[in-house]
Amino acid sequence: MIALTQQWVTTRMRLTLRNPRALVFTFAFPLILIVLFSALNGNAEVDAYGEKIRFAQFYTPAIAIFSLVAACYTSLILGISTARDQGLFKRVRATPLPMGIYLGSWVTGAMLTGIGAVVLLFVVSVPAFGVDIYARTLPAALLTLVLGAACLSSLGVAVSSLVKNAEQAMPVAQLTFLPISFISGIWFPLDGAPDWLVKVSHFFPLSHIVNAFGSCFVPGTSGSQLHGSDLLAIAIWTAVGLFVAVRRFRFEP
Amino acid sequence: MLSAMTFEISQGAAAPRTPCLGDDAVRVRGLRKAYGEHVALDGVDLTVARGEVLALLGPNGAGKTTLVEILEGHRRADAGAVSVLGFDPARRERGFRERIGVVLQETGLDQEIRVREALELYGAAYPQRRDVDEVLGLVGLEERGEAKARELSGGQRRRLDLALGIIGDPELVFLDEPTTGFDPAARRQSWELIDGLRELGKTILLTTHYMDEAQHLADRVVVLARGTVIANDTPDKLGREATVVSFRVVPGITLPAGARVERGIATFTSSAPTRDLAPLLGWAAAHDVELEGLSVGRPTLEDVYLELTA
Ligand SMILES: Nc1ncnc2c1ncn2[C@@H]1O[C@H](COP(=O)(O)OP(=O)(O)O)[C@@H](O)[C@H]1O
Ligand SMILES: [Mg+2]
Repeated sequence: MIALTQQWVTTRMRLTLRNPRALVFTFAFPLILIVLFSALNGNAEVDAYGEKIRFAQFYTPAIAIFSLVAACYTSLILGISTARDQGLFKRVRATPLPMGIYLGSWVTGAMLTGIGAVVLLFVVSVPAFGVDIYARTLPAALLTLVLGAACLSSLGVAVSSLVKNAEQAMPVAQLTFLPISFISGIWFPLDGAPDWLVKVSHFFPLSHIVNAFGSCFVPGTSGSQLHGSDLLAIAIWTAVGLFVAVRRFRFEP
Repeated sequence: MLSAMTFEISQGAAAPRTPCLGDDAVRVRGLRKAYGEHVALDGVDLTVARGEVLALLGPNGAGKTTLVEILEGHRRADAGAVSVLGFDPARRERGFRERIGVVLQETGLDQEIRVREALELYGAAYPQRRDVDEVLGLVGLEERGEAKARELSGGQRRRLDLALGIIGDPELVFLDEPTTGFDPAARRQSWELIDGLRELGKTILLTTHYMDEAQHLADRVVVLARGTVIANDTPDKLGREATVVSFRVVPGITLPAGARVERGIATFTSSAPTRDLAPLLGWAAAHDVELEGLSVGRPTLEDVYLELTA
């Protein structure tokens, strides 16, 4: 059973990494953004998390979450709805493979790919742009990363169950992600945004993921930066996603 | 003791395949299925004995896929009794899925997956699986093991579907239009493969709308039209009672009732050919004309099929 799960997860990831679209959005595009913007104004300072932070120090964790969204949310919506349209789910359903392992391989594969992409961004940013990471906040950062990946994947599966077909998948994924990304602190900090906007952004899970993760990279703070209320919001959205996914999942177009 | 056993075994082997409950791979009684107002299956009975190769023949829209997918557990019947290898397919138990092989009419695969990789991956869940190289050889893809699914031709893709259908060494194989869209050479090759499966003792239920395919492959042919079984027999016996007479029409001749004329050739099916031919031959002799292209023969499965589904 464990060997079977492992085989499906590793193959699923291999297939994702062979897919040029996923590679571009998850790995290449975020990397280019970071390299480009940090090279342009890496030493400028931005107001974020109530502090003045060097641009690269703010931007790397924010774009890392963008990468996580691409791997877990966007890719899963597109991947699952395409697989369903092409009859892959139906094929699998007639084999003895337990459906839990099959769907689990999609989700686990997406989470591992997303976390891998985030690690890659830091591997580049730390030496290239002098981004600091702190041992004190690392556990909170990793926990946020894993819970965030789980949340985005669960929402990805849920949305893929709601979209009609693969053609709808990309626009729906972009239209749900992009507007929310602008009010969630990915492209610019929410410090100084009007109150109501901040309230709206707090309704969605993305701002909580960005905040819980980004806080771990703010210099001069103390403590572990474990943000309980953000993590709770993330957990609630994960549960909502799971609920919709279980209720609405379908094997055929 | 030994001789008694031998006797029993040889008698068992020699006996014709008589339908008997414990021995049937598939047993369907009074099966009904409607999509909204549209009745796709209207009281279908079907029995497939173990080791039998049964062809479900019928025009597009006859209900073949609906029937097969109910047996595979993909769709649910509205009414009727269904037993496949002793299981209720609607429950889709794992033990059931371990023992069937399914080749759907239309089915997808990851575009980026390699042929060998797919067989290893999809084979992994079966308790008993065939050797990947052996299966690649069986379907004639031994050269393409490292190719990606998107690099395969349509025929090769279909053969990979076949390979994936048998990788788990199933007792019962469902093939929904396994050769539709194939060129003649690829079809021949698939026939050999299916003949090979028969030799392995597999029970096979295949659907087709090609008469020659049913004739070549099947022990028994069930003709389905508009959701009902309209014939059920061996390919040889199907339409044995009838004889087909055809000849070039000459002016003035009186054709028997029910004759069709197509491009100057009259054709009719008769259960009493001597009686029906006598007036025609008498007329021809009296007028000293030759009935060109006169032929009296067994109907092909195609004739029977056209007659039945007309
Ligand atoms: N999922 C479906 N929803 C509605 N109608 C369907 C569906 N599947 C098949 N039908 C209809 O049922 C009839 C039988 O279809 P099908 O079983 O696919 O026949 P065949 O495989 O013999 O071509 C057709 O008229 C088809 O349009
Ligand atoms: Mg069909």
